[in-house]
Amino acid sequence: MSEPRAGLHTTSLTVRYGGVVANADISLSVEPGQVVGLIGPNGAGKTTFVDAVTGFTACTGSVELDGQSLDGLPPHRRRALGLTRTWQSGELFGNLTVAENILVAARPGGAGALWRDVFGRRDAAGKAVVGRALDAVGLTGVAGTLARDLTLGQQKLVGVARALAGTCRLLLLDEPAAGLDSNESLEFAERVRSIAAQGPGVLLIDHDMSLVLGVCDVVCVLEFGKPIFTGPPAVARTDPAVVAAYLGAPMETVDA
Amino acid sequence: MTTLLEFAALGLGLGAVYIGLSTGLLLVYRATGIINFAQGAMAMWGAYVFARVQDDGELVLPIGTIWFPEPPGTAVALLVGLANAVVLGVLAHYLVFRPVRRAPALAQVVVSIGLMVALQALAVIRFGPNSIQVESILPTGSIELLGATVPLRELTMVAIMIVLAAAVWAYLRLTASGRATRAASENERGAVLMGFSPDRLALIALVLASLVSTMAVVMGGSLTGLSPANYTLLVVPALAVVLIARLESIGLAVAGAIGLGIIQSELSLLATRSWWPQWAQSGLDQVLPFLLVMIILFAFGKRLPARGSLQSVRLPDVVVPRFVPWKAALLVGIAVACLVFFTPSYRFGLTTSLIIAILALSYVVITGYLGQISLAQSAFAGAAGFALSKLTTAWDVPFPIAIVVCATLAAALGMLVALPAFRIRGVQLAIVTIAAALAIERFVFDNYSLTPPTGNPIGRPTLFGIDFAIREGRNLARLEFSLMVLAILVLMVLLFVRIARGDTGRAFLAVRANERAAASVGIDVRRTKLIGFGLSAFIAGVAGCLIGYSRGELSAESFSVVVGLSVLAVAYLGGITSFGGALVAGVLGPLGLVYTALHSVFDMGNAYPLITGIGLILTAVLNPSGIAGETRHQVEWVKRKLRSGRAAPPAAADAAPAPVPAEKPRETTGV
Ligand SMILES: Nc1ncnc2c1ncn2[C@@H]1O[C@H](COP(=O)(O)OP(=O)(O)O)[C@@H](O)[C@H]1O
Ligand SMILES: [Mg+2]
Repeated sequence: MSEPRAGLHTTSLTVRYGGVVANADISLSVEPGQVVGLIGPNGAGKTTFVDAVTGFTACTGSVELDGQSLDGLPPHRRRALGLTRTWQSGELFGNLTVAENILVAARPGGAGALWRDVFGRRDAAGKAVVGRALDAVGLTGVAGTLARDLTLGQQKLVGVARALAGTCRLLLLDEPAAGLDSNESLEFAERVRSIAAQGPGVLLIDHDMSLVLGVCDVVCVLEFGKPIFTGPPAVARTDPAVVAAYLGAPMETVDA
Repeated sequence: MTTLLEFAALGLGLGAVYIGLSTGLLLVYRATGIINFAQGAMAMWGAYVFARVQDDGELVLPIGTIWFPEPPGTAVALLVGLANAVVLGVLAHYLVFRPVRRAPALAQVVVSIGLMVALQALAVIRFGPNSIQVESILPTGSIELLGATVPLRELTMVAIMIVLAAAVWAYLRLTASGRATRAASENERGAVLMGFSPDRLALIALVLASLVSTMAVVMGGSLTGLSPANYTLLVVPALAVVLIARLESIGLAVAGAIGLGIIQSELSLLATRSWWPQWAQSGLDQVLPFLLVMIILFAFGKRLPARGSLQSVRLPDVVVPRFVPWKAALLVGIAVACLVFFTPSYRFGLTTSLIIAILALSYVVITGYLGQISLAQSAFAGAAGFALSKLTTAWDVPFPIAIVVCATLAAALGMLVALPAFRIRGVQLAIVTIAAALAIERFVFDNYSLTPPTGNPIGRPTLFGIDFAIREGRNLARLEFSLMVLAILVLMVLLFVRIARGDTGRAFLAVRANERAAASVGIDVRRTKLIGFGLSAFIAGVAGCLIGYSRGELSAESFSVVVGLSVLAVAYLGGITSFGGALVAGVLGPLGLVYTALHSVFDMGNAYPLITGIGLILTAVLNPSGIAGETRHQVEWVKRKLRSGRAAPPAAADAAPAPVPAEKPRETTGV
């Protein structure tokens, strides 16, 4: 550790669930502005990696964001530092509207907020935050809808918008495009690129191979919790270990 | 040494009662996944029936009585008492627990509390509020053991209860339906696969549980006497025992029950010693179970078995509140007019309603918004009330400042009770908070060295030379006091609306919906819970101070756990997720406006808690959004009808308020 490095860096990150080693010695970097794909078969440990990085699961090894160690920090503190994520299962606040789902991420309460709620003046700054976040994922006309009334695809997108609200220095997306059709998926790829172009690094997990290989600068392939390949997508297609992991099937047709 | 042994033997009696109650609790939990807070109250009913039949041959039914030609003797009386227990078990299954078997944890806690409140109230009506003697069915005499005289009564009692617990164990282990019940408690499909209907198993469990617990209280009653309150609340230490048993093991429950009984008995011996601090003499019997509950849930809370069919903590609708000035002005105007023109007794009723509305508002914050079940709100109110007595009499702290200080104290206490909520939630939190409330009630409020029995007078509230006290000479309900209460209620509602609409309210709702997701968007879930508990305890504390001022002098009864539960009942009845619900709750609350009105027409004081208890059960079963929510649905329905009925009449369309998205009723799909 010589000098502060921008972006997310994990060193020998390892997660054990009882006897199962769900993540084995993963050292991965996501630089600012970069889109890194994380792929692998079901149960390979992709979600576990996101959980470990964001503090939802205990791990050994170390996690560092913009030169600052995150080890031991609870999830909300990591989020406050700009490490944001979405959930594979959506996990929106179904009882809140889309706008409120985003607003709650931009202003997560606390003692200062309580003081402002009681004694302060209302401001309209929230509206702008919501508008920007929804624009970034291309959702319109849903701000007042209850989150649980959305379609699955919309819920995933609101999840992304929620992760963009407030400070976002690194974005971890766990299968955000599940529930989108192939056209929407392409459009979504565009948006991921433009999000990254504005600064934050993006870690993208998805089943849609064409999306991942098309949009990512680097892909990392997990198998049984171990990274078996890290490198440019073009190389991944022909890498023998990767091909073997997918049982030799041509990768475009495989459901990660 | 011999004294120690003799007290241990005495503790066996209490231990036997705990065996009965905890075995019952455990059985019901295994079969239904519900913690039956009414287990003690159910058992008490059968014991009362037994006692009266045996005493004078009067079979007391909920309505009406049947007279035996002459007292039929102990055996028949016992059979009649147990038959009542069976019927009660069946009724409880079909009318109370079955309808909520798939309902959220809150509804399940609420129905069993409703049942508890209703049964206790019914016992007061049918058997009187005072303790009655119960003739013993147990042998008298004693045996000599290691030089100590050990009464045969306690020994037989504990032996009988061990046998009954063993029978329950055998049922769960050895019979096919018992095995299916155990399978069902892990996974409901399991029982179905074994060819049993979970419903049937629940019925059997409720009946068996009722029988075993009733047997324990029949015997225990002969040692201690029976009163509507004592066995109802014995469910709390029994819950501690059930937690010792990890909600699973009958064997551990028996051991824990006997151990707890003996330790409590020894403690009561030690507390009489001269070196024992005098301030720590009262309420030890409740402090110990509370500490046990805390330790066990803190250490093992997460590892306690949960039911196979994990329900989400889903709560009724929430509407983001709006402060509409003209509506507020109208309501305040009506309230002022009523206060001015009412007779003193109605004025007192309305004033009480205003105070209860504040207390109910504290439930809206903690349960409606934050989604945490707290049964300790009355303890927070009481803590503030007693502090007020000290502050205004000993230190002469002036009126509005004293309220703020005392409510802040209550908030600190609330934050302390929030600590367990970091680790546990749902029904487990309900158990901790009721244990805490009972411990505070017995250890502090009933403690004569802290709160002298000669009374806890409260100084007269005056501000700018105006006396706001409730009494003056023969005027027992002064208008000044009522107006002061109204002003404080308005202030509290304003505070609530500002917070509920702001970042804090939004964070509360997010935590209520999904704690994991809340943490992932940057919400500090623990701090949010601290704030929520602190805030709701603050509001409860304000209510507690006003209760104090309205009595002029405090007594522990004003803040008993049962009072807290009946306010929870009306808060749920009114609608636990909106301040409108809290206002309805105030109107309905004990000694409030509706009570006063009904009371002036016919004498029904004792029936009122019964009605609220039943109302609570009905609300939880039929209409979880409460009266306020239901009214809102109906108003919306009427509005829709009006709009679609007249095909776009321009004038009406203009007059109709624009549909604001935030006004949509909403529900949590939850964790
Ligand atoms: N909370 C948990 N407890 C125990 N095992 C888990 C837990 N979460 C995931 N696993 C296991 O870890 C492995 C990786 O799971 P996951 O990270 O969800 O895979 P992916 O997201 O790649 O499909 C799987 O074998 C899964 O069963
Ligand atoms: Mg996954």
